[in-house]
Amino acid sequence: MAEVLFFLTAIGAITGAVGVIALRNPFYSVLALVAHLISLALLFLLLRAEFVAAAQVIVYAGAVMVLYVFVVSYVGGTQESGHRLTKGFKLASVAFGAALFAVLAIAILGSGLQALDTEGAPYQAGFGSPREIGKLLLTDFLLPFEVASFLLHIAAVGAVTLARRRGGLETQGELNAYTALDFARPAITGTMAEAVGGRHQRMPEPGAGADASPAAAIVDSEPSA
Amino acid sequence: MSPQLAVVQYYEPWWIQILKAVVIFAIILQLQPILIVGERKLLGRFQGRYGPNRVGPYGLATPLADIIKLATKEQFRPDTSIGWMFALAPVISVLTAVGALAIIPFGDTQDIFGTDVGLYGLDVSIGPLFVFAMGAVAFYGIMLGGFSSGSKYSFLGSMRAAAQLISYEVSQGLALVGVVMTAQTLSLTEIVHAQQGMWYFIPQFLGFLIFLVASFAETNRAPFDLVEADAEIVGGYFTEYGGTRFTSYLFAEYINMCVVSLIMVTVFFGGWLLPFGINPPGWVDPFIVLGKTSFFLIFFIWIRATLPRLRYDQLMSFGWKILLPLATLNTLVTAIILVVTD
Repeated sequence: MAEVLFFLTAIGAITGAVGVIALRNPFYSVLALVAHLISLALLFLLLRAEFVAAAQVIVYAGAVMVLYVFVVSYVGGTQESGHRLTKGFKLASVAFGAALFAVLAIAILGSGLQALDTEGAPYQAGFGSPREIGKLLLTDFLLPFEVASFLLHIAAVGAVTLARRRGGLETQGELNAYTALDFARPAITGTMAEAVGGRHQRMPEPGAGADASPAAAIVDSEPSA
Repeated sequence: MSPQLAVVQYYEPWWIQILKAVVIFAIILQLQPILIVGERKLLGRFQGRYGPNRVGPYGLATPLADIIKLATKEQFRPDTSIGWMFALAPVISVLTAVGALAIIPFGDTQDIFGTDVGLYGLDVSIGPLFVFAMGAVAFYGIMLGGFSSGSKYSFLGSMRAAAQLISYEVSQGLALVGVVMTAQTLSLTEIVHAQQGMWYFIPQFLGFLIFLVASFAETNRAPFDLVEADAEIVGGYFTEYGGTRFTSYLFAEYINMCVVSLIMVTVFFGGWLLPFGINPPGWVDPFIVLGKTSFFLIFFIWIRATLPRLRYDQLMSFGWKILLPLATLNTLVTAIILVVTD
């Protein structure tokens, strides 16, 4: 029974993973990823890691992938063709793929396959239960846990900051103001003005006697490339 | 019993497990026609009219007529729809709704045919997380249904569903954390046992209120039924559905209503326990649970007849700016009280 379930879910996981990269339609790609994640959750269930399985479904299939589906169904759905990629980009992707394959092959051959002929670790009662995982997260792995949550927090704050600028560009007053970030970060890494092709330029206020309007400032600062 | 099974306490023989699955499904399935006719009758009374009273005595056979009508309708789908997804989406909705029933405890362990049988499908160590996982997958039933219909109204409905379910799932989950911390367990049967002295809706009243409100949003019931707001987007995600596929969506929605009511009864209202030290024999337990559940089901209908639908921005700001901070505060205060009194 367990073997049948294992092979069913393993085939599901591999099919889903292949589907993610093989399907041309981004919406189907995302759905394949959902199928893959749910298959992984079932594999976790077979390992008696009930909490991890539930977390996998709730967090990945339920929250992260929902966002993907949301975005793709709004803007995606078109057939994404590959001929826009330049030759250098293709070569680089092949090189990175080969490197990743080598790393994974070393890891799998080095450790994972050793367990093939053994019985595996014995099952202890309580293993993988929410209580045990909670204890581990709040004692042994407290620092990584907190760092990860802090990282997610930063990502959330960053997303809100970006999304708040409905107009896309800063006002001239904001462009003129100096902040600590202006000195701490490299160019072309910060503002929305840069993201849409402008440079971070400081101009006099429109009412202060100069004839340069904010619109002109943006047109002036078209990237030379 | 083999030693492997003894370790994980799967003590029930396989035929009992199949029997339980069938019985639980059949009972909840048979509740749905009663629920539907009850809703229509009650809505009628709330609005100063009789409600359905033509088919059968007091109109009680109305759901039967409804089902015959829906089942004999033509299977139709628009030209612009995506066929396999259009057919799959209602199946996902029903599967996840029924799947969530598996962990609801209807009673304590009983002696049936000489074997110990727990009156629940499964007693998993993750408890409510199982229901949330099912709810997470149920989202795809609504989302794919709306997307594959190939119509604007359906698409808008499924987009609303996506935003709404995500927003309120967080508060719903956080509202239960207080209970889990108090009971020191996630297993639903043990949560019920932990309520011997006092039902959790007294110490966790705020948590109960948050869970109640979030449940209305999670089941797409009024006043949070923007997903299928008929005045704005026709029928929302199931605009293009008809016949048995539409019935499946309807069925899933009512089952979900039953599931959240059962969860509320289990987690906040003592499950099969009775107050004042009344201790009835074990076979009464399921009836106690179902009796308490019917109170919440009637409450769902009552609210639908009473409150107007929220606007979309109200829905979002209520979920994120009021419900979520309150749920977090509830968790925090519960944790502090538990640590102080420990």
